[in-house]
Amino acid sequence: MEVWTYIQLGIAAVFQGPDLFAIAGFGVPVTPIMVLLGFLLGIAVGATPGLAGPMAMAISLPILISIFGFSPDALLPVMGFLIGIMKGATIGGAVPAILFNTPGTPDAYMTTLDGYPMTQAGKARKALKIAHVSSASGDTFSDIVLILCAPFLAVLVESYLDLPEKTALLILSLAFIASVIGNSVGKGLISMGLGLLAVYIGTGEDFYPRLTLGSQTLAQGFPIATAILGVLIIGEVFKSIEDLWHDHRRAQKRPSYTEVGDQHVHRADLRRIAPYIARSAVIGTAIGALPGVGSTLAATLGFTTGSRRHATKSPDATQFGHGAPEGIASTEAANSSVSGANLIPVLSLGIPGNAAAVFLILAADSIGGFNPGPSVFKFTSGSINPELVMAFGLFTIMMLANLFNWTIGGGFMRVVGYMIHIPKHILLPVVLLLTFTAIYVQEARMSAIWFAVGFGVLGYLMRRLGMSPLPFVIAFILGGKLEETARQAFAATGGDAWFLFTNPIAAVFMALAVTVIVFSTRTRKEPAQ
Amino acid sequence: MKLALKTVAAAAFSVVLAASAQADDWTPPGPIKLMIAFAAGGGADTQARLIAEDLEAATGWEFIPEQVTGKGGMNLAMAIKDMPNDGSVIGMVVTETLGYNMRAADAGVSPSDFTGIATTAGFQMGVVSLSSKGWNSFEDVVAAAQAGEELRFGVMSPRLADLAYLLGKAQGVDFNIVSVKGGRAVMNGVNAGDMDLGFMAGIQGKGVAAGDLVNLASALSEPLRQSPDAPTFADLGVEFNSDGAFVFVGPGGMDPEARDALAAAIGTAISTEGTKSNAMITKAFGGPFIQTGDALQQRLQAEYDEAGALLQAASE
Amino acid sequence: MFTGSTTNRALAIFAIAAALLIAIGWVPLDTDTGIVEKVRRQVTIGDALAPTLASIFIGVGGLLLFFQGASPADGRLRLANLRYLALLIGLLLLSFAIMRWAGPAAVALFGAGESYAALRTTAPWNVIGYFLGGTILIASLIAMIEGRPSFRAFAIGVVASSLLILLYDLPFDDLLLPPNGDV
Repeated sequence: MEVWTYIQLGIAAVFQGPDLFAIAGFGVPVTPIMVLLGFLLGIAVGATPGLAGPMAMAISLPILISIFGFSPDALLPVMGFLIGIMKGATIGGAVPAILFNTPGTPDAYMTTLDGYPMTQAGKARKALKIAHVSSASGDTFSDIVLILCAPFLAVLVESYLDLPEKTALLILSLAFIASVIGNSVGKGLISMGLGLLAVYIGTGEDFYPRLTLGSQTLAQGFPIATAILGVLIIGEVFKSIEDLWHDHRRAQKRPSYTEVGDQHVHRADLRRIAPYIARSAVIGTAIGALPGVGSTLAATLGFTTGSRRHATKSPDATQFGHGAPEGIASTEAANSSVSGANLIPVLSLGIPGNAAAVFLILAADSIGGFNPGPSVFKFTSGSINPELVMAFGLFTIMMLANLFNWTIGGGFMRVVGYMIHIPKHILLPVVLLLTFTAIYVQEARMSAIWFAVGFGVLGYLMRRLGMSPLPFVIAFILGGKLEETARQAFAATGGDAWFLFTNPIAAVFMALAVTVIVFSTRTRKEPAQ
Repeated sequence: MKLALKTVAAAAFSVVLAASAQADDWTPPGPIKLMIAFAAGGGADTQARLIAEDLEAATGWEFIPEQVTGKGGMNLAMAIKDMPNDGSVIGMVVTETLGYNMRAADAGVSPSDFTGIATTAGFQMGVVSLSSKGWNSFEDVVAAAQAGEELRFGVMSPRLADLAYLLGKAQGVDFNIVSVKGGRAVMNGVNAGDMDLGFMAGIQGKGVAAGDLVNLASALSEPLRQSPDAPTFADLGVEFNSDGAFVFVGPGGMDPEARDALAAAIGTAISTEGTKSNAMITKAFGGPFIQTGDALQQRLQAEYDEAGALLQAASE
Repeated sequence: MFTGSTTNRALAIFAIAAALLIAIGWVPLDTDTGIVEKVRRQVTIGDALAPTLASIFIGVGGLLLFFQGASPADGRLRLANLRYLALLIGLLLLSFAIMRWAGPAAVALFGAGESYAALRTTAPWNVIGYFLGGTILIASLIAMIEGRPSFRAFAIGVVASSLLILLYDLPFDDLLLPPNGDV
């Protein structure tokens, strides 16, 4: 089977899938519609402070699975919707940041620095347009890099890495994630260790369900949805509710803005911001390809490098932080170009790098039939590899979402400004019930809700203690795979206790893992996501 | 071969029909919980869900599928054990769960704590390698091992690990036995070159037909339908085999009326041509294999009893 | 010599103690196969190895944290946080208890001898618990944030739980709202 055949099959899988409905005899395939709906929802969610893309992905997943079922046909519509949310939320986050000085998503904080001054100067619509162009450019660039790199990397991994090297690679990824997320390697390691411990409860190879304290309820282990939604979503809601509880007396004034003069983005404007977009897109893509380094860091780096360049090249123009369009462009191009590149380790290695990727893996895991990892990109000789068709289907979905972004994204951004008026203290309790319901619907037992409450408390405590929950979640996802691969490598090498060090590639990975931890403890880093 | 199997199925099924004559008027007391011991989206899970769909269409009973995975079906067994035995809870496992796994787990339960309802299909369990390895028969594997090559043997359950060990022992070679989760993982591992050969329970069909994979031996008591010339485990000097089937079970002491009504409905669904489950089982597992009633209960007990001998042999 | 914040130091000590307890107590007592074991003449990795390594990560993380300097993003856990958490968990317990038992109670009182299990897919019995529990959960949380109970909070709870019932229960036969999978 040629690459070209798979590309065609992937595109066909998206556009010739089951029809949603027919107009005048022409079927409207379901996957593109789902991408569009997800994208629009994503913009709305991104524009709502207090909600974020991952939260919407988490809540939609069980609903989507119940609509589409567990068949392989379900994968593309469900993933299409989720990828749509992911991309929509990225540009949606800029809306309240520009209009009301309130970032809709954490990575849009830097956008407020130049976006809001532009709004105050009466240039709100222009600022939104610049954010849109920059975001869409960064996103598209990042996706192209993903499509070019992921299959190549996967084939490389599959042909050069044996079981011991794969084990070492997983260890390296975890070490990297624990070290670079958050501002403390110690806390990162604790978070990761807790995630590993949690996933090892009830699992294992022996028939005796380990670490269950004799309880049959724990014998099946913690369902992945309870751990991920608990720590990431419920923990965040718990914390936000407390913040609101303390602030409830604060006077809430309805924010508003006015527009003055020309709001068009002219060719000259585009020429001015293009170098900033290009530079930030490269920065964001490079950062996104590393698991665990989030879009917030990308935005910070994009903004600071852009700012330095702007100060030397055009010292007389409006500087960053005072309403410079270049500032919005640098930030938005950088944080938007993270999402595509973040899927490089997901698709080629099965290693998630951020919360959105976590939910895409959760979706693939729940539906079954598609296991992100190097085996996806196996070009078979005789029969068709269905997972590879899916992978090209996913690439098609991403480009389709970019098309929606370029064509209607900007227009839709301008209408979701009102989302800021949704009061958070009403929204959050509803989100909480929705999340618990989503978990129950998937697991069908009350114990799952209690697990989720427990993980929610853990997520809350982590946030209060300044510990990032992301290493926990990623360790929870990779822990099972790590143990299995290590076991297999150990057995396959005939019980060689030094299997991680006898082989040169594995030894290099292990050395890098130690280096990254040691190096991170010695340098203070800027706070990442 | 196909014809013979259909005859067996038909014969078994007429027994079911006879039993169902007096179970006609049984109706479940409410919706039926269907526990599935297999990961969502895989072949076994799809089979269980399709059977439930066909049953709903045929009988009007309501089924609510639910995943209870892990520990080779033992998690499901421990969960279903104390559920109501009025036919409102059933579960799908493999016979190995109540046989080898239950014996090895030593969790204080035995097949008599469960009610066997009906088997649905067997496995075409073969020892498989990539054809690009250049092995045409199992002798080539033995020759390669004797020439000093370290061979990795992929297995997806402890029972199969024991069988792989005994196979090596019988042939005078040592395999590095690599345990993975599920047949697809064995296939991926073999495809990726992480393993040299491994057990596959029907998933290899397409690859063997396309010439990518080769069935080196049948792990069953009879030859594989796709590769009838591959030797069986008995031919290779192993006195055990991996015979087994997907099976619906309920909590112990189920009312025979409920048990037989469910068995009859399942049998009808999977052996009627044109149903979704029949099409799926025929495609993926080579056709339905139905065993019910006391015969099934005795089979489950026998597998449990005989598992002791395998455990013993593999620990020597 | 310790420049870290009090919270960090407490967390570090807690992590180290927990790691020791897990590695020396919990893991050896609650696993059946050791760090490595010998089966079928092969040495294999046992079920105790992975959790032991997890506890080592927790312990090493604790050690690193203990000797780490303070930073602005350190965070603090005060007594007030724990009081809030207790209140929140209390509200959740109450709401989920109602969610779990209101349906069966209603069936026992008015159900004409049927069991709740048989009626768990039959409206309106199957949504009584979810509706009441969900309404109370939302209404009480809003009331907590606003500092007073209000009719508006209650109405939002009613609307939101009704919408979720419409979203999940009406279109999908296979989906069970709490507590219908447990009965």
